[in-house]
Amino acid sequence: MEKWYIEKGNQGDVVLSTRIRLARNLREYPFPAKLDSAGRQAVNGLIKDAATADGNPDNFSYIKMDELTKAQAVSLAERHLVSPEFASSAEGRALLLTPDESVSIMLCEEDHIRLQVMKAGLALKEAFEAADAIDSKLDAKLKYAFDDRIGYLTQCPTNLGTAMRASVMLHLPALTRLGHISRLSASVSKLGMTMRGAYGEGSEPKGDIYQLSNQITLGITEAAALENLDSIANQLVGREREAATLMLEKAENADRIWRALGILQTARLLSGDEFMELVSLVRMGAANGLIELELEKINELIVSMQPATINAKQGQNLNPSQRDAIRAQAVREALETKN
Amino acid sequence: MLCQNCERQEATTHITKVVNGETTATHLCSQCAANLGYGDFLSGFSLNLGGLFDSIGNEKRKSGQIAQTRCPKCGSSFEDIAKSGKIGCAECYNTFYEKLLPTLQRIHGRIRHSGKVSEAACEENKKQSELEKLRCRLNAAVEEQNYEEAAVLRDKIRELEKEA
Repeated sequence: MEKWYIEKGNQGDVVLSTRIRLARNLREYPFPAKLDSAGRQAVNGLIKDAATADGNPDNFSYIKMDELTKAQAVSLAERHLVSPEFASSAEGRALLLTPDESVSIMLCEEDHIRLQVMKAGLALKEAFEAADAIDSKLDAKLKYAFDDRIGYLTQCPTNLGTAMRASVMLHLPALTRLGHISRLSASVSKLGMTMRGAYGEGSEPKGDIYQLSNQITLGITEAAALENLDSIANQLVGREREAATLMLEKAENADRIWRALGILQTARLLSGDEFMELVSLVRMGAANGLIELELEKINELIVSMQPATINAKQGQNLNPSQRDAIRAQAVREALETKN
Repeated sequence: MLCQNCERQEATTHITKVVNGETTATHLCSQCAANLGYGDFLSGFSLNLGGLFDSIGNEKRKSGQIAQTRCPKCGSSFEDIAKSGKIGCAECYNTFYEKLLPTLQRIHGRIRHSGKVSEAACEENKKQSELEKLRCRLNAAVEEQNYEEAAVLRDKIRELEKEA
């Protein structure tokens, strides 16, 4: 089945993907940090049964995290299907995943349930509707921890209320190169949102990819939070396009993009960092009509060329230079010139 | 001006906050101001140890004893929560509701949920508060030796408990 990230969505030149994440807990059980292994297994079983009831309409597969290799677990995080923290410790944790990987439910991460829906491009409303529908089905079968005054109860009080975190993954190469990011993230944070590296808290922005998400969850409805985020994301898209047009007017900037493509098409060894730096330039060229290349293809490469994803696909732990050779070969094949 | 929190009492406490150059004004009645931690400016100023320890300290001073409230369900004390930054279980929010409010106000700027409601949980919450009321009335009826009413109440409670 085609994975969701191979598609190109709305505002796809700048917005890679949209994610909605809902946190839920079962009333009768302590939150995961206070839950022992047996308790976690009981919780996971209840949620699994609820999610796959009525003939498993969403086609969830159930993955016990301790049955995965380290590379497989980290690869899930590289594809944004689980959090890096979730992949780092398998004890008592499980994952429900749909075949197209657009819906994943982390069991016993920070909360009992972390339901997330991913969509290509900017699609906050659609992603929320999908998450909301699954959540309502689970609500009817499980006893959620909910308080009339402060909403859905979560292990960390920063998620209380709607317990919804919506994020948009943005590719901002021009704004990064013009040095506008820190000013933009400061103004975004004044509006109750945050902008950080693609892998969330504390992660370095690699390949000029940033994650914009809502911060406040208590006292603001899902619809209002999504509307705010949508409006800011659209403004950033506009700014990035303007900045890119400005940059590409200069011959030396366009030249750097062509050179980056040249290296990707010919290199025999590509480290992860070098690949991300070059592919970001190439993506900027493709998004702005300088290079004729499908964005879907580039998006797919960005996901599949991450180190653990390569290891997981090869079924063995490669040393860095073996991996760099495999990466270079796959990139050459994907970006092959017709002439 | 009415209090922005309860929207019932006259606002008597006016707070102006400047965060990153952005000014926000909050107007509260004395009751809500105390509940939200503005009565004592030393208490509950941050989620980290210092702030929360201080509010625990105040309580000890006031009551003159060291008895610590613990969550009846998971056994967490407020100190445990302050230290780890993690709430133990759903019941903790009930047990430490008042003490958590200043922190919630600081994080979110608001303390009242608006948005999706868990249908099933609301049903259950309603049932629980109904049960509480009935048990209160039952106690009163027994004290007044009104056994006829007590029997009716007891049956109602049993009925509700069975449904839950």
